[in-house]
Amino acid sequence: MTPVTLALVATFAPAVAALLLLIVFPLRHKGAPAAWICLLGSVVSLGAALKLLVDRLGGAGDTRVTAPWIMENGRAMAEMGVLIDGVSLPMLVIVGVVALCVQLFSVAYMHDEAPRAFGRYFTLHALFLFSMNVVVISPNLLQLFAGWELVGLTSYLLIGFYFAKPSAAKAAVKAFWMTKLADMGFLFGLLVLYVFTGGFEWTSQPTTLVATWVTALLFVAVIGKSAQFPLHIWLPDAMEGPTPVSALLHAATMVAAGVFLVVRADPLFALAPGTREVMLWIGSVTALFAACLALVQSDIKKVLAYSTASQLGYMVAALGAGNAFAGFFHLGTHAFFKALLFLAAGSVIHAVHSNSLEDMGGLRKKLPLTTVAFGIGALSLAGFPGFAGFFSKDLVLTSLEGKGNWIPWTMLMGSAFLTAFYMGRVLIKAFGGELSEKSAHAHEGGPAMTGPLVILAIPALASGFLGGWIGTQMHHAHELHFLALTPVVASSMSLIGLTAAWFVFRNGGKAPFAGTLERLDAFSLVDKTWAAGYQVGLLGISGIAGWIDRYLVDGLMNFGAWSTLEGGESARRLQTGRVRDYALMVVAGVVVLALIGVLR
Amino acid sequence: MSSQIGFGLVAAIILVSALFVVRSKNLIHAVLWLAVTLIGTAALYAQLNAPFLAGVQVLTYVGGVVTLMVFGVMVTRRHGGAEAPAESDSDEKGFIFATALFVVLALAIWKSPVPLPVQAPIATTNQLAHALLDDYLIAFEALSLLLLAAIVGAVVLARRRDPDPVSGEEAGAAAPTRSTTEVVP
Amino acid sequence: MTLTGCITLAAALLCIGIYGLVTRKQAVAMLLSVELMANSANILFAAFAHFRGGASAQVFVLFALAITVAEVAVGLALVMLIYRRHGDTTLDLASEAKQ
Repeated sequence: MTPVTLALVATFAPAVAALLLLIVFPLRHKGAPAAWICLLGSVVSLGAALKLLVDRLGGAGDTRVTAPWIMENGRAMAEMGVLIDGVSLPMLVIVGVVALCVQLFSVAYMHDEAPRAFGRYFTLHALFLFSMNVVVISPNLLQLFAGWELVGLTSYLLIGFYFAKPSAAKAAVKAFWMTKLADMGFLFGLLVLYVFTGGFEWTSQPTTLVATWVTALLFVAVIGKSAQFPLHIWLPDAMEGPTPVSALLHAATMVAAGVFLVVRADPLFALAPGTREVMLWIGSVTALFAACLALVQSDIKKVLAYSTASQLGYMVAALGAGNAFAGFFHLGTHAFFKALLFLAAGSVIHAVHSNSLEDMGGLRKKLPLTTVAFGIGALSLAGFPGFAGFFSKDLVLTSLEGKGNWIPWTMLMGSAFLTAFYMGRVLIKAFGGELSEKSAHAHEGGPAMTGPLVILAIPALASGFLGGWIGTQMHHAHELHFLALTPVVASSMSLIGLTAAWFVFRNGGKAPFAGTLERLDAFSLVDKTWAAGYQVGLLGISGIAGWIDRYLVDGLMNFGAWSTLEGGESARRLQTGRVRDYALMVVAGVVVLALIGVLR
Repeated sequence: MSSQIGFGLVAAIILVSALFVVRSKNLIHAVLWLAVTLIGTAALYAQLNAPFLAGVQVLTYVGGVVTLMVFGVMVTRRHGGAEAPAESDSDEKGFIFATALFVVLALAIWKSPVPLPVQAPIATTNQLAHALLDDYLIAFEALSLLLLAAIVGAVVLARRRDPDPVSGEEAGAAAPTRSTTEVVP
Repeated sequence: MTLTGCITLAAALLCIGIYGLVTRKQAVAMLLSVELMANSANILFAAFAHFRGGASAQVFVLFALAITVAEVAVGLALVMLIYRRHGDTTLDLASEAKQ
């Protein structure tokens, strides 16, 4: 099979599965068959992606095939097609692996659901995988936008999976309109790009001004999609979805789409130093701010959610520093270890039936495998030397050296410490210490649950060593000097953070300032205030827009209707039905006509 | 010169009586004033060298139409009721429009070039008869048909018995109620 | 006596007729006004017959007379009908044209 066929198979196998489930609804309503069909689609998709990877290792080059799309005056306005290169191929594999693991995990995690809901869940999963792959293989920004919107829609449906629950429905709507608001930036960016370059290629070479506009507008979409400050507030709410959904959406795919877009459009961003500067700062602020927030959460999923925002901040900062490879590499490793963390957390929640860290404790005795998996993920996230996160995070930090008077570097070092600290906290509180009441009856899920954990633990542990290969695929000289300033400081931060967590929380949080720390809701307060202000502002704007619509636009319409009615009413009054009045009108007409005749 | 005076006199009679026709509160008076107008017109015809027309005018109009009108007024007069006011709310409007029309027409007449009088021989009744029954025979016959239709129509309309709006019974039930269209053989 | 004079007379008579038609409420009175207007047309015919010659114009006056008579006959029949229907000949009552 040609690379194009393989890529199309990888993309459309889930689509076929989703279509089958949508049309042949008895399969969907039955539940279990839907899961198998969805898994089959994912396996085929991943298989095709792996075959591409093998070919690539065998020396195959980039492939780019496009077909004209949207014909206008005999000329194609845009193209659609397939692009397989050093960025899309690793991404395709990452997405495939994570999605398959998540789906496998879901089979066990969701087994309590009603068959119909179960079937709907897997239909949506298949649809989501298709959408994400459309994004990944896009050869230009327009197709990427199409996939981007599909991803937005399916993630909305997945977050709102428990739509009967008001909070879940609200969270889904929030995520939807937040990202949709930001997507306006994408759309306008595309328009600007098309107007000035006549195409949707990221390889086009517009002037610096145009490039700055385009990239700034695209970055607005990235802020929304990748939950960067100040549009990050939808991400924690999105935890209302089932935990595997969180693993899928907030690890490898949906939120990563924003970073992926920047990596893709890197040639354009390279022309816009101003936009990169902004990205650098926003990424750093997000990383630090979200890490602070993660520190004070008592819900295990929210800790992970904020840590996702924080890690995305790292990626964005790296991209802002001009090192697309570092951002992409961190995206890859993060995808694995964050998916692993979420699935492990799902396993814990499944066992304990609670999201709260307070209800957990001593789980290492009951859930040894989950403990190991979570530990690997946490250490990787904390950047413990040798784990996947260590390499990518060091690369990100190295690329920041000297940028912005070292301030972003310092902020990210601070968040590296905080990351280690809050992951240590979760590890100790959930798995260390004595068995809590609720943990007493916990037990591991079946192989469908532990299997994905094992599979994901491998890349979470080892994918850091693939950095060199990905670097060469992206034509980036990747060299990591482990005895340079940044790796040493970063490793120290990681170790200090973990050690500090150990000292603070080791005796069930009996250390003098542990409780104080946990009650330190200041950051949450900031976040809540911000969210409230944001809401007020948005409601205000909506109010004004609504007023304009109601009174100006509708008013115009209503005036038209009213004048017609009034005109009809007055015309009706002319029709008295009295012969004399008609005669009067006839005379009036005659007078006018005669006058015209005379005066001419 | 005498013709000028005669025309002025006749015109004055016609216009003044016409004004009385439209202003009289009593309908019978109005009809009688109409008779005066029509007689004045007949006099005008005579002045215009159309004696036959003048005769016909007196015979049909004054003799026929005015009589018919008097009958109409008598038949439809309210029983014991006072005469309904002839004026109405559209009095001023009617005056304005009528005056405006007259002004416009006068303007038109004043602006139009007056064709030169042609010294034609006076059309005798003999010529008139020839014109009527030779040149315009078809129109004449059509007119006779029209008159017949009008008479039949008038009879049908006048004889139709509409249900009484109050009682719902047919008005004048004592008379044999048979429409002309329902002739029983 | 001039053509212009005759035409002006006819115009004046027409306008008086229109005034009556518009202001009168009684159906019979309106018929009278219509008679005035018809008469003004006849005067025009007769005047042009006199000043321009020819018998045709006079023939048309005869035709017009006949038509007027027919109109009066039908009109009066309608007035009778309206009277029977409404107990009055005020045409304002007969405003079925409105519905």
